[in-house]
Amino acid sequence: MNPIAQEMQNIAKELLTSGEVTAVIGWEKGTFWYQSTPVMITSAEEADKLIWDEFCQPNLSKYLLDYRLNEGKVAIFVKGCDARAFNRLLQDNQIERQKAYLIGIPCPGMKDHKQAALVEESAKDSVPLAKVCQSCRYPNPVVYDRLIGSEVTPRATEPDFSDVMALEAMTPDERYAFWQEQHTKCIRCYACRNACPACNCRNCIFSDSKSGWISKDVNTSENQFYAITRATHVAGRCVECGQCEMVCPSNIPIMLMNKKYIKDINDLFGKYDAGIDIDTPTPLGHYKLDDPEEFM
Amino acid sequence: MIVIDKNKLTDLLDALNQSYQVIVPAKSADLTQFMPYDAVKEKNAEIILNENTVLSPKWLFLPQSEGMYAFWAKNKKLEIVDLPSDLEKMRIVFPVRHCDVQGIACLDKVFLDERHVDGQYLEKREKTVVMALMCNNPKDSCFCASMGVDRAHANNTVADVQVYDLGSEYAFEALSDKGQQAVEAIKALGSEKTVAVPEVKEQKIKVNIEGLPEKLSGMFYDSIWDSFMFKCIGCGTCAFICPTCYCFDINNKIRGEEGVKLRTWDSCMFDEYMLMAGGHNPRPGKKERVRNRFLHKLEYFYENYQMMLCTGCGRCLRKCPMNVDIVKFINQANAK
Amino acid sequence: MSSVNENFEPKILVFACNWCTYAGADLAGLSRLQYPPNVRILRVPCSGRVNPQFVLRAFQRGIDGVLVCGCHPGDCHYTSGNYYTRRRYLLMKRMLEFMGTDPERFQTRWISGSEGPKFQEVITEATGIIKAIGPNRKMRDDLTIQAAFAQRDAEEEEGEAK
Repeated sequence: MNPIAQEMQNIAKELLTSGEVTAVIGWEKGTFWYQSTPVMITSAEEADKLIWDEFCQPNLSKYLLDYRLNEGKVAIFVKGCDARAFNRLLQDNQIERQKAYLIGIPCPGMKDHKQAALVEESAKDSVPLAKVCQSCRYPNPVVYDRLIGSEVTPRATEPDFSDVMALEAMTPDERYAFWQEQHTKCIRCYACRNACPACNCRNCIFSDSKSGWISKDVNTSENQFYAITRATHVAGRCVECGQCEMVCPSNIPIMLMNKKYIKDINDLFGKYDAGIDIDTPTPLGHYKLDDPEEFM
Repeated sequence: MIVIDKNKLTDLLDALNQSYQVIVPAKSADLTQFMPYDAVKEKNAEIILNENTVLSPKWLFLPQSEGMYAFWAKNKKLEIVDLPSDLEKMRIVFPVRHCDVQGIACLDKVFLDERHVDGQYLEKREKTVVMALMCNNPKDSCFCASMGVDRAHANNTVADVQVYDLGSEYAFEALSDKGQQAVEAIKALGSEKTVAVPEVKEQKIKVNIEGLPEKLSGMFYDSIWDSFMFKCIGCGTCAFICPTCYCFDINNKIRGEEGVKLRTWDSCMFDEYMLMAGGHNPRPGKKERVRNRFLHKLEYFYENYQMMLCTGCGRCLRKCPMNVDIVKFINQANAK
Repeated sequence: MSSVNENFEPKILVFACNWCTYAGADLAGLSRLQYPPNVRILRVPCSGRVNPQFVLRAFQRGIDGVLVCGCHPGDCHYTSGNYYTRRRYLLMKRMLEFMGTDPERFQTRWISGSEGPKFQEVITEATGIIKAIGPNRKMRDDLTIQAAFAQRDAEEEEGEAK
């Protein structure tokens, strides 16, 4: 058995037996070989469900929102991006630090489960890493109570904006045609919103059609309105976990929009990585007197 | 039966496209779905025959967003008019797998119920020729045989033409008058032969649904829901890719003094779905919503129409972001 | 430019902050300064009130150009509102361009209560540019079923002719 999985199970058993936590949230094997899915265990006997493999991409931090009113402590396993997501929720005052027990796992990068679904299990090794993982700069958890294994070297030191720049190089009409094609595919299932740790509003305007902001009429214009609004709302708060893109059934490149905002924020207001430390205010949550001036 | 070589697929589609609007499963912009053959040619999209599309063909009969009637204010009076039909030609959809044919049969139960026949749905059904394909290459997510779908013969209340996959050839057998006309249009491309129905390959996933609805009727308060609801993130992916989920919402789209009444898909996983006037929500959380979805599929629909609302197409097994697995659920419910 | 554009009268939406730009527009009026009548001025308490969704919705419903105007940085009635606006719209402007809208159609400008002539100048210039590039077709969300209305209009015309 994978030594990391073994240690995960041991820690889960220990924490549940001692009563330090009431539940442990980790991953279990899903239906197919390319699926690893979130699981919550509440007794030491269930601990052998826990696994660790190259498809543990689901970000567990957001599940803490479901248990924010619980009395006891909940333990979760955090990869680099889950830890940033945890900080995101903390900075947004959604959860309390002392009610979570974080078990950090340095992450070697997760495989692209959508690519994997197209091939047989025997071709597992040829499946590339998920796109966000390929340029991951924070594979090691930035916050944890306990760490499993040793830290890994980040795959990149600088963010990769090559895909954003490729699109920027097009003419407005070409870009418009590109996004039209993408957003025509959107079925507005809101999986991107529900998987996103930065989308933590209790009442989302898109869940409230009475508010009048969006109709249930699914057409390219409304889909685009949704996409831009969501990207804008998570601008400066996106922790680059790529969950939005991974859960999208229509394969829309959602991270492209998020990365565009990250790139512009870096260029205009100075380098900023969300979810690293919770004391620095978010780029759109504060201002400087000497910000760039283009509107005179 | 008319037997046509698979190499002549393009000729076949072109021949049909002369008198029909042909709809085919295709991959465009990294998404597989049913789309008009004209659009496939225009976008140079790839026709997908060896796997189930991500989006089901249900939009052909129940579009995600569909106008019901138009209205406008005139001299302080409201006028209402029917919308012109957007189907000019007869449509042919080729090929539809048996699981999706069964999905259309489920929609028929709801929208062509003798107590109320839905006019718009009926028009779309009447103007569409469904060519059912007996698929002989089940994926690891397929379990239609377990859900009561006949893998050799499609549900003949829906299918107009039965197509058999003979390896290098397709055999076409008309099952209805509409289907006969369609087969006439492609007769010249092949030859008349008598062929034996090919053997079907076993599916990997097998579930037992014997007595399941009765069993589930006593499990409303069972603890099984607690473990199944955990993973769910409350998105609408399962409902929107499902070939049978038919829940809809009715909305207005108003611009100035004119407007359109719209019927749009809805998902019981959304928090707004069950919201009552005054703010009460009888299904306030994930548990109640997951329970409703599974019970609707496996119990309530069976009680009303004596068939399951799940056809075993396996889309949700593959596409649910967090892998809430209906097969695992059925197995666990059986074991209780 | 084609003949279509010569007859084209754009619709331009101006979000004007109550304390500066709206006063500036008022001053332009009091001073009898002429500016094109293509603008619709929408008064907001502060430019910081202008949610990016307002801009998107304007384009959806048929506006050809949007201007967000407020006090100069440092002059905000609420001390800091326009500093947030500045950050927000520096980003939003780039995102709209990234999504493929024409960059000329969206602008943010600072216009104070004493800058009546600047208001006139900004509006005149924006109207000229948008008139030249023609009506906006991008991101529009019209009623999808125009055929029914076209039929009604044709019948009405026929009725009038009789």
